[in-house]
Formats: sequence, structure tokens, C-alpha cells
Amino acid sequence: MKAFFTLVFIFLTSTTFASEQAEEIFAQLTPSLYQIKLIDKASGEKSSIGSGFQISKDGIIATNYHVISSYARHPEKYRIEYLDHRGKMAEVALVSVDVINDLALVKRRVEGEMPYFQLSDQKPIKGEKLFALGNPHDLGMIVVPGTYNGLKKESFNERIHFTGSINSGMSGGPVVNKSEKVVGINVATSGNQIGFLVPHDKLVTLFNNYNKTAPANIKQQMAEQLLANQNKLMKALLNNTWQSKELAGKAMIPIIEVPFIRCWGDSNADKTDALILAAIANCSLDENTYLSSHFFTGSVEIEFRYMQAKNLSDNKFYHLYQQQIARAGAGNRAGKNDVSEYQCHHDLVAPSSTANTNKAINNKSIFCTRAYKDFSGLFDVLYLGASVDKNQQALVSHFTIAGVSQENAMAFTGKFMEAVSWK
Amino acid sequence: MEVEMEITQRTEDCTSEIESTKAVDNDDLSLEQGEIIIEEISRNHKLLHRHKLKQNEISIGRNYQNDIILTDPHICPKHLSLKHSQGIWHLSDNNSVNGTLLENNLHKRQNAHQQVINDGDVITLGKSQLRVLFNDHQVSDTIAFSPFESLIDLIRHPIAVFISVTLFMLIAGNIAYLNQQVETNISQLFVSAFSMSLLFSLWPAGVALVSHLTKNEPRILAQFGISFVFFILMWFSDLLEEIVAFNSASSSVLGLLIALLPIMLAVSLFWLNSYIGFHMSAKRRIIVALSITALLFGGTYLLQYSKKREFNPHPNYNATIMAPVFLIAPSNSVDHFIKQSNDLFEQASKAALDED
Repeated sequence: MKAFFTLVFIFLTSTTFASEQAEEIFAQLTPSLYQIKLIDKASGEKSSIGSGFQISKDGIIATNYHVISSYARHPEKYRIEYLDHRGKMAEVALVSVDVINDLALVKRRVEGEMPYFQLSDQKPIKGEKLFALGNPHDLGMIVVPGTYNGLKKESFNERIHFTGSINSGMSGGPVVNKSEKVVGINVATSGNQIGFLVPHDKLVTLFNNYNKTAPANIKQQMAEQLLANQNKLMKALLNNTWQSKELAGKAMIPIIEVPFIRCWGDSNADKTDALILAAIANCSLDENTYLSSHFFTGSVEIEFRYMQAKNLSDNKFYHLYQQQIARAGAGNRAGKNDVSEYQCHHDLVAPSSTANTNKAINNKSIFCTRAYKDFSGLFDVLYLGASVDKNQQALVSHFTIAGVSQENAMAFTGKFMEAVSWK
Repeated sequence: MEVEMEITQRTEDCTSEIESTKAVDNDDLSLEQGEIIIEEISRNHKLLHRHKLKQNEISIGRNYQNDIILTDPHICPKHLSLKHSQGIWHLSDNNSVNGTLLENNLHKRQNAHQQVINDGDVITLGKSQLRVLFNDHQVSDTIAFSPFESLIDLIRHPIAVFISVTLFMLIAGNIAYLNQQVETNISQLFVSAFSMSLLFSLWPAGVALVSHLTKNEPRILAQFGISFVFFILMWFSDLLEEIVAFNSASSSVLGLLIALLPIMLAVSLFWLNSYIGFHMSAKRRIIVALSITALLFGGTYLLQYSKKREFNPHPNYNATIMAPVFLIAPSNSVDHFIKQSNDLFEQASKAALDED
């Protein structure tokens, strides 16, 4: 079904073996590789760890946003520290983030010139041998060899597909080519030797922007990035073709033809004792933006459900149908400190269909939204349309979008409502 | 044992006192024959017994020589006597252990010894109370049968009760049928309908029991008939509420109004329950009906409120949908819906700021 990716986190399993040869090659890079720790101020203990690597002589260290996300959200509660190859620890400052590409820059104090990682100026070629580095334990740097497999297909925000076992705790570590130049940053794994990297050009952009003007406020920087990213995503969704497609031969539903929205189907045709025959089409964006361990955004889910009564009275069919639509939930995780509660509105709506003008549908439509507390102007929205014009058939059209502006949300809702009809 | 001893001793005391007072009593005999009504009443002034006596001297106490014999152990064997002379009744306490109090509209509880008795006075002796009335006491006006009476007569008819219980079971069975996710058979539905009606029978049965215990007529069939008629009406009000919710948008005023319907029905049911089961003043009956309703709905609200989580990550919307036959209202356009939904963003932003 859905492919889920686990972010490479923190917790320590040590099954990695570094080839001796590789270790020799990269021995000289060790001083520029760090373990990044988030220390809870009150308890004085670390609350999460990851890796980081120095990219400038004046002490800029690149890591993953998700490694330091708790600090970015609650700077008063934590401090960030590095641990170098000689076991030296010191505090660093968060200077810039790219929340969309899961990158962050922190700065350490330096005395004199220091060695640092060179960022590559070209993309690797498919099949090229790469080395993922990390410093998850107090043992020092580990090296994992692997292969570059191009960019991940169907992704909205680019990720490199890396065949090699990226380990927990290696998040934020660099991936270098044979000439010791950084081509990516460890970010996630989906198990079985499949790893994902942030392409190095994202880091280059972030670093260059930082050198031009350092952001004054991290929270505001994040808000701007989220707003810009949803604009890009919604523009792609609204401007691409909405292919009208049949569902169970009875309904017309829109399929948005963009590669990063993937669709799956299911039905209960095999269950002979079911009272209602149901066919479901489910399309979603397979990626989302990590803001904190309890707060994700940027997800898009679209679902269509066609239902047909089998030997049921109309009333009973509608009664069961109501139970089906009564508990739609948010598409993303968010807590009390992140968002407001949902505000909802419902009405009877008969859209003038763009797909099939003479077989319009009559819906009970429900729209709900909740606002982000730290990123004003962003909302999670939910729409649910339930057809109420056929005695024995029903069509549910539903979507959720997380982290979207009001304008984009309403443009999408309007287009979506008019794209659904009976066949 | 000790207590008994004490009582015996007190009894002796009383008796000795009586001997002395009797001599005084004999002095003034009146020619006119007195007539008096003495009611034994309970603490909340419910009538227990009524005595109508035509004599000039009445003795009240615990022993069997008295004209009115009371069983209260706190009363002396010869507790008090009432005497009639020249159209006036006097009370004399025979030096009883616990005394005698007189209460009327003018005076709150005073010592009754040697007091003049007026119409309507309440004498407290021991833990018992007696109300004294004269034959010219004003009785309240006759209450005409209210129109409810004929309605209740109709509803409490065994056939009517049977019909309403059956109808209730049909409805309960139908609800059970609608809620079943899998195929069901008749016997399952019957069992659930039967147990549902048994459960709902507890209310009229309870009311009848209470009215029986408070010395009122239980009128069990009337209670059953009325209660089940109202249970059915409440189901109809639910249905009506559902139809309104289905046909209207979330900002509808009608939806709010219709929510009052079950409350009104509940008040009416409780009012009728108390009308059938208990004798009380019209004002009191309204207060009782209103307070039970407040208790029921307020309690339900409190229960829901206490269960409410601090933050609800799920949307809370009204998803009422019904078969197309119930669809009466015209549908709106997408533009109108979008316009209405736009207001939500402002509300949500405000909520986000408020909660901070």
C-alpha cells in the first residue's frame, strides 16, 4: 500500500561496518565531522543526537533540521552542543534552517583555520560509489559505502535514492564521492539498504543565502519557507491536468496528473457478506514536512469512495453511509501547541459539474479548517462531500491538505467540488 | 431496658399530674354542645386520620381511655385535653413530659397550655401533629376535571397502552435494524426491542412506586400509557431534528429551535407524571417538572462536558445524511459554499491567537 519512510533518528544501533580502506581514505575528514546533541536545559541530559559536518573554515556546521527541530520550536528549553572526534564538547548557535529540505546550519566558535568538507559542484552519476559518513556514537566517525541511484521518482521535493544502509544517528552526516566532496546529506531510510539523501545543491543554496543575509528570526524563516513551498505545491496541483476518471463505472472523479501524487485502489468485492459494496480510490502525496516529532505538515490526501447498497432499504443504507463519513480526521499530526481546533461548516451543494454537465451531483458538503499558531497564514483544511441524491448509491469525495494558505485552499476546494459528478 | 424504665417512670409522672388537673376541669361545664374535627397529620401535613367529635371535653393521649388514642411513645398516656365552653375551645396540657405546642398562622409554635384553639391550629405533641378544624371551616373550591383527565383516560386504557408499547418496540426494533452493520434476523431485533422497552418501563414503574409509597394512588397504567406516548413523541422529535440538520446549513436558526423540542417534551412528560401520580399545587408541579428536566439535561451536559478533552485534534462536524426522500431544501452553489467557508479561516486564526 502506502510507502512510509522513517526518518533516520537518533537511537543507536551499531551494525555498521566501515571498510578499512574507506576509513583510511577519510581519516583526514574526521576533525570536520561532529556529533550534534540537543541538551535539555532543565535536566542537563541529551534529548536527541544526530550528525553534522563543517562546511566552512569559520565554523558553519550543516546538519538535518529534524536533529535540532526541538530547539527551533522551543529555543528556551534546549541548547545545541557538538562533540568532535577528540571528545570535545561546546555549544553552537542555530543560524539558518531549510525546513522543506530538512537542513540546518549551526555555528561553532573556531580558533584559527580548520579543515572542512568541500561541497561538490556537480551531481553524481548513476551507479557511482558514494560514502555516507556519520558520528552517531562516541566512537568517532563511521563510514558506510553505497551507490547513487539517481533522484527518487515521484518526489515533489527532490531526494537522492542511495543504496546503502544509512544508520540511525547518521542523520545530518555528509555523503561524499571518491574525491571527498559532499554530494548529499543523510536524511531518511526506508529499510533494506534503501536510504534517502538531500541533494547537495539544496545545502549550497542554503549556505549561499546565509552568507548573503543571515536570517533574523528562525521561526519567521520557517514560516516563509512553508508558505513558499505550499504555493509551489498548490500551483503544481491547480495548474496540471485534472484527468476525469470513472470510479466503479458509476462516478466521475478527478485524478491530478502530477508524478508526486500517487493513487491506490481498493474494494470489498470479495466480501460476499458485506451489506454495501464499496470501491475506493485513494491518492496522496507521499512526503510531508517534519516540523517536530508531533507536528507534520505539507501532506495532501484525496479519497473517493463509491458505495452501492446490496438488498438494503434506503434508510438503512443512508444510516450506514452516515457512519462511514462521520469520523473524517486530519491528514497530518499536530498538537495543542501547534494548531487551533477545527472550525467546520456544512451545507447542501449542487456543483455545476465541469466533468459531466448533465449528471451533476447533489452533495452534503463539509469544510473544516484549523490555523497554525506559530506560522500565521497557514491552515490545515479538510473537505468532505457526500452525495445525497441517489437512493441506493453514494459517492464520497474527500481531501485533506496540511499547511496551505486560505487562497490556495479555497481555489483547490472549488475546483475539486466541480470535478466530481455521476457518470 | 433503661429506656423502657424511663418511660414507665414518666408515665407515672403524667398520671399523677392528671389527677390534680381533673378537679379543675370539672368546674365549668357548658350547656352548649361543642363540635370539633381533629385530624391526625403527618409531618408534611398529609392527612392520616380524621375524627369528628361531638362532645365538650376531649382527652388525647396514649392510653385507651382517651377519646383520641395516639401511639407515639413520646406522648403521655393522658397528654392533653380540649374543653369547650361558651363557644370557645381551650387546650390544657396535663403536665406532659415533652409538652404541647400550638402553631397557627399568627404564632409560630408556642406553648399550648391554656391557650384558645382556633380553626386550623396545629397542635404538636410528642412527635405527632394534630390539626383542629371547626365545622364552619372554609374548604377550597372544587377543582373541575382538566382536559388532561379525558386524555389520560384515553391513554391509560389497556388497549391504548398496549398499542403505544408495541409502537415503541417497533421503533426500537427499527433503530436496532438501522444500526446493525451485518445482516440481522427478526428474533435478534425483537430481543433488543423488548429489552429496550423493558428498560424504558423503569421510569413509569418507578414513578408509580414512588406515588404509592407517598400514599398516593399509583395509577400504573396511566403512568405507562403517558410515558410511552412521550417516548414515541421524543423519537419523532429526534427524527425531526435529524431532518432539519440534514436540510439546513450549519448556521441555521431552525436547528437551534428544534433542539428545544425534546426539552419541552421532557417537561410535559414530567408534568403529566406528577399530575397523574401526586396531589400537589399547580405551581409546585411546574417546579418539579422543570427541576427534573434541568437535572436530566444539565446532568447529560455536565457528563459530556467532563468528558471533553482539552484539545480535540479531530474536526467536529455535523454529518447527518438521510435518504433522498427527506431532502426538502434546495442546494446552494459552490461559490456560495466557498464564500461561507472563507469565514472559517478568520475564526480559526482567531482561535489560534486566543488559545496561545
